[in-house]
Amino acid sequence: MSVKSKLVIPSDPERLVEVDAFAEERIAKLRFTQDQRDDIAISLSEAVNNAILHGNGGDIKKTVTIVLEERSSDLRMEVTDQGDGFAVEEVADPTDPENLLAESGRGLLIIRHLMDEVNVTPGKTGTQVELIKKYSNNT
Amino acid sequence: MKLKSEQHGSVVVIELKGKIMGGPDATLFRDELKKSLDAGVTKVIVDLGKVDWMNSSGLGILIGGLTTVKNAGGEMKLARVTDKIKSLLMITKLVQVFSSYDSVESAIASFSD
Repeated sequence: MSVKSKLVIPSDPERLVEVDAFAEERIAKLRFTQDQRDDIAISLSEAVNNAILHGNGGDIKKTVTIVLEERSSDLRMEVTDQGDGFAVEEVADPTDPENLLAESGRGLLIIRHLMDEVNVTPGKTGTQVELIKKYSNNT
Repeated sequence: MKLKSEQHGSVVVIELKGKIMGGPDATLFRDELKKSLDAGVTKVIVDLGKVDWMNSSGLGILIGGLTTVKNAGGEMKLARVTDKIKSLLMITKLVQVFSSYDSVESAIASFSD
């Protein structure tokens, strides 16, 4: 059995605080350590930021949908934008010396380190990013 | 994110607090930095001791600050980097880019070396 919660926001970076509060309230009661909770919050903010800025191109008329699914063995998060999709393999390596001083482009790299599973599904009517954090590692 | 700045002689210490996740945080930090640079203070320490966490936008804000200060002929250093931020600096290899100090005092002292 799983418990699902959903939040839909317009593509406005100022709404990130609302997303964080929405997730924090639900994650607080789950059996993660504080460190894991921070990993989840950071990763969700990355995915939502990407959806707002890159997926929807900052178009405030387009929305970002966030779904949190509390499952028996993990927390599954789904972030979906309404953009035209993007090719993950085209994202430049942010650790390449010539990109080190770039101010953006590190979101996916960080998410992949902090989450147990990351799946990006680009589509013509939006990209869906699935993030999974398992309970088993330290809890 | 909340921000507070305090001048120690020729050095300004900008203390960041809370969660740094982008959006309005970048403008807040940029404006504070500009105020110091406009006043001729180009030795900058960013105190991260009270930051809960930051994401890649937060790292971008720090890089933007580093570049801005460097272009103004100054230097920006980090102090009291938390374990969580340290791990992000390692993952992104930005540990090579920033000078970090365990305390604000040692960061201030490093400017007189």
